[in-house]
Amino acid sequence: MTALGWLAVAAAGWGLAVLAALAGGGRPGALRLCCALSALGGAAAIAGGVSALVWGNGRVITIGPAEVAGSLQLQATSLAGVFAALLGLVAVAIALYVPRYHEPGPGTALYLAVYNLALVASVAVLAAGGVVTFLVAWESMALLCYLLILRHPRREAVAAGAFWFLALSETGFVLIIAAFVILATKTHTMELSVIVARMHLVSPAWRDTAYLLALAGFGFKAGLVPLHVWLPEAHPVAPADGSAFLSGLITKLGVYGMVLFSFRLLPAQPAWTGLITMAAGALTAAIGILYAMNERDLKRFLAYSTIENIGIIVTALGAALIFGAYHQPALAAFLLLAGLYHVANHGTYKTLLFLEAGVIEHTTGTRDMDRLGGLIHRLPRTAVISLVGTLGIAALPPLNGFVSEWLIFQGLFQGFRTGSHLLGILIVTAAATLGLTGGLAIYAFVRGYGIPFLGMPRTRPAAAATERGQPVTGPALLAVACAALAVGAPVVLLVLCRAMRTVTGVALRPVLLPGNLTVLPAHTDFSAFSPTWLAVFLVAVTAVPLLIYLAGRPRADSVTVPVWDGGMVVFRPRMQYSAMTFSAPTRVTFDALYRPAVSVRRASDDPAGRSGPVHYDSQVTPLFLRYLYRPVIRAVEWLADVIRPLQSGDVSLYLFYIFLMILLAYLLGAL
Amino acid sequence: MPLWFARGLRRGIVTTHYPARPDPSAACLPTPPAFRTGMIDRQLAGELVAAGPSQALHRDGDVLVFDVSRCTACGRCQEVAPLAVTPSGEFELAGTSQAAFVKKIGLVLEAGQ
Amino acid sequence: MSAAADGEAALAERLRQRVASQFGRSLHIRTLDTGSCAVCEQEIRLLSAPHYDLHRLGFFLTPAPRHADLLMVTGPMIRAFDVAARKTYEAMPGPKLVVATGACALGGVYPADAFVHGTVGEILPVDVWIPGCPPSPLALLQGLLVAVDRLAEKVSGLSFTADGADS
Repeated sequence: MTALGWLAVAAAGWGLAVLAALAGGGRPGALRLCCALSALGGAAAIAGGVSALVWGNGRVITIGPAEVAGSLQLQATSLAGVFAALLGLVAVAIALYVPRYHEPGPGTALYLAVYNLALVASVAVLAAGGVVTFLVAWESMALLCYLLILRHPRREAVAAGAFWFLALSETGFVLIIAAFVILATKTHTMELSVIVARMHLVSPAWRDTAYLLALAGFGFKAGLVPLHVWLPEAHPVAPADGSAFLSGLITKLGVYGMVLFSFRLLPAQPAWTGLITMAAGALTAAIGILYAMNERDLKRFLAYSTIENIGIIVTALGAALIFGAYHQPALAAFLLLAGLYHVANHGTYKTLLFLEAGVIEHTTGTRDMDRLGGLIHRLPRTAVISLVGTLGIAALPPLNGFVSEWLIFQGLFQGFRTGSHLLGILIVTAAATLGLTGGLAIYAFVRGYGIPFLGMPRTRPAAAATERGQPVTGPALLAVACAALAVGAPVVLLVLCRAMRTVTGVALRPVLLPGNLTVLPAHTDFSAFSPTWLAVFLVAVTAVPLLIYLAGRPRADSVTVPVWDGGMVVFRPRMQYSAMTFSAPTRVTFDALYRPAVSVRRASDDPAGRSGPVHYDSQVTPLFLRYLYRPVIRAVEWLADVIRPLQSGDVSLYLFYIFLMILLAYLLGAL
Repeated sequence: MPLWFARGLRRGIVTTHYPARPDPSAACLPTPPAFRTGMIDRQLAGELVAAGPSQALHRDGDVLVFDVSRCTACGRCQEVAPLAVTPSGEFELAGTSQAAFVKKIGLVLEAGQ
Repeated sequence: MSAAADGEAALAERLRQRVASQFGRSLHIRTLDTGSCAVCEQEIRLLSAPHYDLHRLGFFLTPAPRHADLLMVTGPMIRAFDVAARKTYEAMPGPKLVVATGACALGGVYPADAFVHGTVGEILPVDVWIPGCPPSPLALLQGLLVAVDRLAEKVSGLSFTADGADS
């Protein structure tokens, strides 16, 4: 079957899941059927994505008259292949997760119907072959995600988070429409592949304008700084599988839009657009992880980490554009491949981490890291699976995050090949920023894993948590996928090379995978590394000494004694690191960014020091909200106040407006 | 030429040679008291016991029991009876058993006791 | 069974000499403050300074009881510190020595009451006692050397009488 065929099967599966959910009315059996259909749809989407990657762009299918703007145009492209495969994987994992997570009931049935519709809308975005199809699918996806976030509308912060999501999504949508409209009107067609063919009709000025509009518009959805403020508000308040879907997939649709514009619709861009993209990406990555360090809420922390990873991907894309403008097509294709690989990896482990955050929230009743602790003993399977996800996202070998980040770094380090000193320095600066982000990410995820899972439970609910009845299969599948994406990197890279051949026309295989499971960064004389052998080596290096120890350890003469703990008599949970103290060094170092507002209140002012309870509060200043968004919001409100007199409610005034308009139209027609 | 070198070395070495050779600073150390046995009678012994702050002295019949391990070398017993009590000058007082520290000093008996 | 007791005593003595010979040239000392006024600690700290120089004798101060051969205890052993002191002692691998330092640790200054044991010997098995308030670094050095058999114990032969008369 063709790729588009598989995607159509996936959409059909999800459509049937919607029907099952709505018809079932909340019964557990109906929900299970809905999830089964959703999983089948997901499997079909994976098949569709992979076949699109391998077999190249399909035909454009037009449903409805081709000349009418409202017709449906579909095409399965290689570029969308990675995203479609990721969509499928996320759908399967969430489908396995939902039955044990959501309580059966009419609310859940409606929620699942909306969710599966969102899946259909997402696959429509990926398979859109025409402008109108894309825009309609995009807007439906956004609205459905808005409904997804509003699962529990009366809970605290849910309505606000959903509103932020919708407001900024619509703002981005306006810019996306503008970008598409520019291209469509200049090339006189709605079909994407025809736009590509007729790009010579678009002047460079319009082309760059369209690109910047698309960067901003899709940047809103992807979460580029400073367009990211909705992400930490919206992602945490959705249910766990909704957050996983949003972070794991929907932000990647923003990336897909950027990739669509940069690498398919607008070839041969100047270097400065790539530079802006790369700078935006590097800034996003650094700021994302810096704000993540200060979050106590597990899901807000993961949301900021999503922003960081999007930054890494966009940096790779920007650098690819620069290399493309400087006649290095192999490096450009290589960085695009690395970016897409990171899309797949991040989708996998971020979904995993959000699903496990949901399990933690359900078993302990809280998302606050400072109320958790010791969960590794109470939720052992969750702990192991979360560890796989954490190692992946912290980009530690041998897991998949390391492979894709290595590829991106190797691509950035070859900035000198552009021949321009300035660009070489700027690209390496971006690489240094990503290096800072990588180090901070390890720090942040040691905190994000260590504080909830390790040590002693800090509160009674954390001590009482139990894993019975919690979903395990979905996250476990994602953990296996993480390992597979890492150890099977050569296979993944082969498939992506085929896709790059279709997208950019560059045959990467000889300079990427020369054989023996080794990976080269698009040049034979720069560096080399083998993810498969690295995984084998790391396992061996750990296992062999362990086996030697187990075989030869002394039996009779040894005495087991308690661990030396400094002679403590009683070890209380409050003596442990808290989440905020663990990240305190970053608040000291990056004080200029955080500008913490500290307030200390004492019950009394006894000079002898017995002042009673002291209340200490440290708030990080939300820079973007306060200095960028609030002024804009206030300006809009001011403008609305100025215009309000026009809407007085007086009918005679409205009739006067109509009279004025008719007069105007008559005069214009007469001229 | 080697003279200033040797002199510099000799002046520059500040480390004590203890225990191979005695350290000159030992002469200034406060040390536990030594008692003149012929000069302490029961009454003086009572005063000495009352003067010490750390329970080092107590009277057991006709014997003044002095537990060196408890002595803090404060010098109050010497202030009470400067002729009968003098600094012993002993600072190498480490012992392997507590019994080694208990010293008995015979009291002078008055005529007829 | 006097012969058996003698045999045991001889064995114990040989063991002690063997331990002392092992430690004699390389000893790691862990200090423990069980509620002292910290002046003994200052004198102990002076031992590492150039004038007294512990290292020339092969002695080292270490913070980790797992690395320590000798526990140097100061302070009157306040009752709140019992458990920690025993834990520190038990964390040391054998063979190990305990040296009680200062008048407080030897039972002077603070008699036993509701808050202090008064003497370290109530909680830990002490091998060498070093009197003084505080014991000067020279006295500490002598105590350590006695503990590892490099110097002979002197105090049992002293009489503390000015005219040399025995009691």
